[in-house]
Amino acid sequence: MLMKIEKGTISSSQLLFLAAAFVQGAALVVAFAYVVTKHDVWIIIISGLAVTLPFLWGCVSLAKSFPGQNMVQIMESVYGTFLGKGLSILFISFPFQVISHNLRFIGDFFVIYMYPKTPLVVFLILFIAVCAWAVRSGIETIARIGLVTVAITIFIDVLTFFLLLGEMEATNFLPMFELSVGDFIQGTHIMFAIPYGELMIFLMIVPYVNKIKQAKSALLWGLTIGAATLLILVVRDIAALGSLANVLVAPSFEAVRLIDIAHVITRMELLVAIVLLITVFIKISVLYYASALGIAQIFGLRTYRPLVIPIAIFSVSFSMVIYDAAAEQMYVGANIWPVYSLLFYMLPVMTMLIAKFRRLPRAQEGVRP
Amino acid sequence: MIFLLLVFFAIVVWLEVPGLIRKKYWRELAVFSLFLLSTFFLSLLQLLDVRIPNPVKGIEYVIKDILRLNYK
Repeated sequence: MLMKIEKGTISSSQLLFLAAAFVQGAALVVAFAYVVTKHDVWIIIISGLAVTLPFLWGCVSLAKSFPGQNMVQIMESVYGTFLGKGLSILFISFPFQVISHNLRFIGDFFVIYMYPKTPLVVFLILFIAVCAWAVRSGIETIARIGLVTVAITIFIDVLTFFLLLGEMEATNFLPMFELSVGDFIQGTHIMFAIPYGELMIFLMIVPYVNKIKQAKSALLWGLTIGAATLLILVVRDIAALGSLANVLVAPSFEAVRLIDIAHVITRMELLVAIVLLITVFIKISVLYYASALGIAQIFGLRTYRPLVIPIAIFSVSFSMVIYDAAAEQMYVGANIWPVYSLLFYMLPVMTMLIAKFRRLPRAQEGVRP
Repeated sequence: MIFLLLVFFAIVVWLEVPGLIRKKYWRELAVFSLFLLSTFFLSLLQLLDVRIPNPVKGIEYVIKDILRLNYK
């Protein structure tokens, strides 16, 4: 497939901010790890980053050795048309599922904390409608909002951190390193599989970066900035909430709720909700864009735009059925999903090894970088 | 409710299909119709309160009860 569906290009700095916002969108998902590692969750944020950096480095190397091709096209040239299409369907089913899970998570958040009497489906439809609009406008439009999102997120996180200083107790971090080896491995695995590793989806977007040479450092820096934001967030929550943070669905929301400076600066938790809204918007839009583009390429279409609305309807339908309660999502997120998602994370690794083994891409095709 | 669903899907068809026909994108039209029809039946079943098998429960069953790879 030589023709290009997406004609837009993004700059490497836009890629960086997109990746950072993508990781920041997982601010609440860290709650899965709280259950396992309690107050030592900041350790696994760092260890998860250490595991993900080489993985992502490998992913981008793969994209760089096949310039101008995204994951679906790479797999087709590595495995051949038939097997390549099959594995592409597997690969694309990953963002497709993650959309539903994220959508359900943000919907549950709004229903539980802010609009208890509104039906869940209202939030799902409103949210996915905005995302669908963004995805129809193309990757350039989504990328343009990245910088603003990251700036707002970091500003609000740092602001609430300082406003909460009065509530913080350094003793909440003690005893340090209390977690067992099994819990440490599980926690690192959760961080790898849920907030960080999903950056693998950028394999669908990296080919549209105008300077492909800078894409690698942009993605890795984006991941690091995102992880640093998560670290600020987690330190703030543990210091302010203590052991309470382990049992809440949305610790950062509850922590910021404690801010009360002379009864004037209160109810700051809405800021957290706003940050969550915009970062999850970026996250879902990127995943959504990747799955629309991927499905269009699997079927050999000339445009992905007609697929956008059907995918939105699918995602809403699935979000409605996948969980009966938020607690169930916590269990699946902590114990089942990390194992299951390895099925998808092995795809780029396997592709890279086979491409090396088959000495692809060949020089006579004129694509060797 | 079913009426609303029909209206919604009619709007989607009205938004997408004329452009595809004008550009003679037949393959795109076929894939679009396939996806839209399946989503239509999926949401119709949900409206009629038919229990749709939950894919996450299936994943959970395979990982937990067959492979025993889950953490806890």
